[in-house]
Amino acid sequence: MLSLQHVSKYYQAGGNKNIVLNDISLEIDEGEFISIMGPSGSGKSTLLNVIGMLDEPSEGYHYFVGNAVHQLKEKQRSALYKQYIGFVFQAYHLIDELTVYENIETPLIYQDFKGAERKAMVADMLDRFQIVGKKDLFPAQLSGGQQQLVGIARALIAKPKLLLADEPTGNLNSKQGMEIMELFRKLNKEDGVTIIQVTHSEKNAEYGSRIINLLDGKVDSSRKF
Amino acid sequence: MIKNYLKIAWRNIWKNKVFSAINIIGLSVGMAACIVIMLFVSYEKSFDNFHTKNIYRLNEVQTIGAEGATQKVALSMFPMGATLKQEFPEIKNFTRIRWSEKYQLTQDSKRIFLPEAFFVDSTFLKIFDFKVIRGDRQTALLRPHTALLTEETAKKLFGDVDPIGKRITHYGDDTVTFAVTGIIANVPKNSQLQFDALFSFSSIYKPWMFTNWGGNWLNTYFELAPGTNAAVLDKKFPAYLKRHLKGDSWKFYKLFVLPLKDVHANSADIGLDYINYQKFDKKSTNLFAIIALIVLVIACVNFINLSTARSAERAKEVGIRKSIGAYRFQLAIQFLGETVLISLIALLFAIVLVELALPYINNLSEREISFNIFSSFSVIITVLSGTILIGLISGIYPAIYLSSFQAAKVLKGSVQVGKNKGSLRNILVVTQFTSAIFLMIATVFVLKQLKYMQKQDPGYNRDQIVNVPLDGITTKKYDLFKSELSGSTLISGVTASQDILGSHLDQTGVTFKPANGPKQQLGTTLLVVDTNYLSLYKIKLAAGKNFSGDKMPDGRQYIVNEALAIELLKDHPKYPVSSVLGAQFGFDSLGTIVGVAKNFNFNSLQYKIEPMFMVRAQHWGFRNVSVKINGNNTTAAIGFIKSKWDSIYPEYPFEYQFLDDHFNEVYKADNQVSQIVGILAGLAIFISCLGLFGLASHSAERRVKEIGVRKVLGASVQNITVLLSANFLKLVLIANIIAWPVAWFAMHHWLQGFAYHISIQWWIFIIAGVVSILIAFFTVSFQSIKAAVANPVKSLRSE
Repeated sequence: MLSLQHVSKYYQAGGNKNIVLNDISLEIDEGEFISIMGPSGSGKSTLLNVIGMLDEPSEGYHYFVGNAVHQLKEKQRSALYKQYIGFVFQAYHLIDELTVYENIETPLIYQDFKGAERKAMVADMLDRFQIVGKKDLFPAQLSGGQQQLVGIARALIAKPKLLLADEPTGNLNSKQGMEIMELFRKLNKEDGVTIIQVTHSEKNAEYGSRIINLLDGKVDSSRKF
Repeated sequence: MIKNYLKIAWRNIWKNKVFSAINIIGLSVGMAACIVIMLFVSYEKSFDNFHTKNIYRLNEVQTIGAEGATQKVALSMFPMGATLKQEFPEIKNFTRIRWSEKYQLTQDSKRIFLPEAFFVDSTFLKIFDFKVIRGDRQTALLRPHTALLTEETAKKLFGDVDPIGKRITHYGDDTVTFAVTGIIANVPKNSQLQFDALFSFSSIYKPWMFTNWGGNWLNTYFELAPGTNAAVLDKKFPAYLKRHLKGDSWKFYKLFVLPLKDVHANSADIGLDYINYQKFDKKSTNLFAIIALIVLVIACVNFINLSTARSAERAKEVGIRKSIGAYRFQLAIQFLGETVLISLIALLFAIVLVELALPYINNLSEREISFNIFSSFSVIITVLSGTILIGLISGIYPAIYLSSFQAAKVLKGSVQVGKNKGSLRNILVVTQFTSAIFLMIATVFVLKQLKYMQKQDPGYNRDQIVNVPLDGITTKKYDLFKSELSGSTLISGVTASQDILGSHLDQTGVTFKPANGPKQQLGTTLLVVDTNYLSLYKIKLAAGKNFSGDKMPDGRQYIVNEALAIELLKDHPKYPVSSVLGAQFGFDSLGTIVGVAKNFNFNSLQYKIEPMFMVRAQHWGFRNVSVKINGNNTTAAIGFIKSKWDSIYPEYPFEYQFLDDHFNEVYKADNQVSQIVGILAGLAIFISCLGLFGLASHSAERRVKEIGVRKVLGASVQNITVLLSANFLKLVLIANIIAWPVAWFAMHHWLQGFAYHISIQWWIFIIAGVVSILIAFFTVSFQSIKAAVANPVKSLRSE
C-alpha cells in the first residue's frame, strides 16, 4: 500500500543538524494493523506525520498507492490524503466551535459530498458509535473517551483506506483505551481498514499485526504476529 | 459549505465577544463616517446637475491699483451679454441675472417681501432647466412686465386663487407692475441659483444701461455650442474688450467663462459672488473624503492587528481542518467569510449611526442630506459591495497568514505562531497613531486660527452693534430714525453706511490729483458712510481729521486708509501719509482728502488689508443702519429700536442682526470645515484606541502565566503595569515623533493661505503628544492593571 525508502527528516537548530528520522525504509501492505513504539523523541510521531503527508521528509522516496508522493505538489498531496487517509490524535483535536455532529460532518464538506448524503453518512456513523444522543453537544461538554470516539468517527466518516492514530489512548483511562482498541481491531478485521498507530503501551501495541520499534530515528526492530 | 462557514464564523464572533465588539464598533464607526461623507460628497456633486445645456458663467479678472494686483469676480457688465452673443458664434444664447433682495411686492392689500427676486432675460428658461408648472417657458418672459412665481411665492401672494394673469406691483425707487405669466416649481436646494420669482429684465430697462460699460452689477450666463473649447474662447475676449471699452480701460479687465457645474465647488477664488448659494470649496469636500477614508483604514488595520495577534488561538483549528482534508484556499475563504460577515454586521450598526448623525450633520452643514439605502438599486449595490470590499481588504492578509500554518507543526504545538508578526503589528499601530495624532494637531491649529480670526482686533470696535437693513424707501427717513433713536439712554450711537464690514465692499474707479502733480486713475474699494461712522466704530485717524459739517469749497470730503495713502504716494515713498491731506480725490468732480484712517480689517482676516476710502454721501442712500447699544440691556434696546422703526416705517417689517453674528456668518464655511475635520479626528483617535485596547487585552491574556510567575517572584502591581504598557506607549511615542514634522509642514503650508495667521507654537505638538500618550496609557493600563492585580494562584493553577 505504501512504501518509504531511505526517508530522513532533520531540522536545522542553531548550527546543529537535529536528526529525527534517519534513513528509514518501510513497506506496509493493505490490511495490516501496525503499532509503532519507541521511547520519547525516537521519531514515532514524525514518522506517522510523514506517512500521513502532514509533514514532508527532508530526503528519501515516499510511495502511496502507486503515487510518488515526494514528487507531488501540495494540492495533489492534499487530494490523495483526503481520499485515503483518516487521522486520530492523542489530544482528540476536535473543533471547539462545532458540535459533535458538525465535527463529524466537516471532512465530508471538504470532500464535496451533497447535503443529503452527508446527513445519511453522519447519522450512520453516530448510530454505529452510539453517540446519537450527544450529537448537538460541543466537545467541551464531553468526557475524554467520548471526545476520542468523536475523533475516530470523524476520521472514519469518509471511509479511508488507512487510519493513522497518534497515541489515540494516551489521554484516556485503561477501560476507555481498551474500548478504543477493540474498535480498531474490529475496523481492521471487518472493514479491512489499514491501521497504523503510535503507542507507548505494550498492551495496546499487541492489538496490531506488526510492531515496529524505533530508536533514535531508526527502525530498531520489527516483529509480526 | 457556505452554511458551515457562516456557522463557525458566527460562533467565533460570539465566542470572542471583546474582539468582535472592537472590530464591529471600529468598523461601523469608520463605515458610518465614510457613508456620511460619501452622502455629503454626492450632495455636493448633485449641485446644478439638473441642467442639461452646456452652460457657462462669465467672470471678470479685474486689475486693481497700480501694482497690478488682480481679483476674480463673478460680476459682469450689462452690455456684455448681447454683444458677446452677437460677435461670437459659439455663444448660442445668453441670460443676465440682476438680483434684488427683500423685494417688496403688493397684490391688492397684501404686502410681502420676496427674499430673492431675479430679473432675467427671456432666454433664462431656455438655458436653465427649472421646472415650469404652468405657463409657457418659451414665451413667459418675452414681454416686459411679466413675472413667473415659484409655487411657494404664489401661495404666499394668492393663496388658493389661480394667479395666472393676475397683477402684482413693486413699490420702491420705481413703481413697476407685473402680470403673472407662469408658475415654477420651488427651486431645488441643490441649485446655486435660489430665487422666489423671475421678472423679465426688460421691465426695468433704463436707457443708460445699454452703454454702461464699466458698471459691474449683474451676472451673465451663456449656453455655448457643443464642443466649444472654453480656453480658446477666453483668448478671444481681450480683442472684444478693446473694441468696446473706452480708452485704455480694457487693459484692466480680462474675461473668462466657467462651466456652471464648477461654479458651486470650484470658484473659491472668485469674489463678489453673490448668487452662488452654499458655495463650498471642492478642496474641503475632498479633504473630508480623504480623512473619512483614513478613519476607515484605521478601523481595517484594527482588524488585521487583532486577527494576526490572535492567530495562535486559531492555529489549532487550522491544523485540524487541514488534517481532515481542507485545502489552504478553503481555509482562506473561510477566514475571509468571517471578515465579510463582521463587516456586514458592522454595516447594520453603521446604518443606524448614519441615521443618528445625519440630523446633526445637516444642521451643521445646512444641507438636506438624506440616507435611504433602499432608495435605489445603485445605492444598495454601492454600500454592499463597499462593505464586502472592506471585509476582503481587512481579511486578506490574516486569511493568507492563518491558512499558511502547517498542520503537523501547529498540532504538535511546536511553533510559536503569531509572534514574528509583532513587527508588522507595531508598524501598523504606529501608522494608525501617526494619522490620528496628525489629525489632532491639525484640528487644534484650524480651531486656533479660526478663533484668532474671530477674536483678533480688527482695528475697529464691533461690540454691541446691531445692524438694521435699509432699502431705497426706508433710507429716505434715515435722519428721522437716527434722531428718534439717539434720544434714548439705551442707545449710545447711530450711524449708517452702504455696506457692512466683513462683507465684500464695492469697488470703484477714482481719480487722484496731488497738489503738484498730474491726475492719476486707479481702482479701489469704497465705503459710503454717515458723518459719525468713524467715531461710532472707533476707527482711529492716523492723520487729518474726521468728516465734518464744513462745506468744502470744492466738493466732497474723503477719508482714505493708510494702505490707500501709501499707494497714492507710491512715487514718493519717503513722504509721510499725511502728505495726501488736502489733495484732490474723487469721481467725476473731485473733492478733498480730509483724513487718513489707520488700517482696519474691513474684510475677513483671510485677506490682508486692502486700500480703501470712505466718503460721506448720504444722498446716495444707505443700505444699513448701525446702532450701538449702551450697556448690556440688549433686549430692551432691540425692543426700543423696533418700536421706533414700527412708528416711522409702519409698512415695513423690522429686521436686525448683531455685527458679531454677521462675522460668525463670514467665518461659517471655515467653522463647518473645522468642525467636521475635528469630528473625524476624534473618530480616528477613538478607533485607534479601540485597537490598542484589543491588543493590550490580548497581550495581557497571553501573558497571564508570565504575570503570575513574576508576581510570585515579588513583582509589584506597578512593575507589571509598566511591563505590559511600556511597549504600547513606545509605539505611540514613535507615532508622535513621525507625526510632528509632518503636521508642522502641513500646518505651515495651510497657514500661508491666511494674510493674518497664528504662529506655529511648539507646545501644541507637546500637548498633542502628551494627550495621545495619556489616552493610550489609560486604554492600555486598564487591561494591564486588571492583569497585574489578578491572583497569581489562579492563573498558575489552571496550567
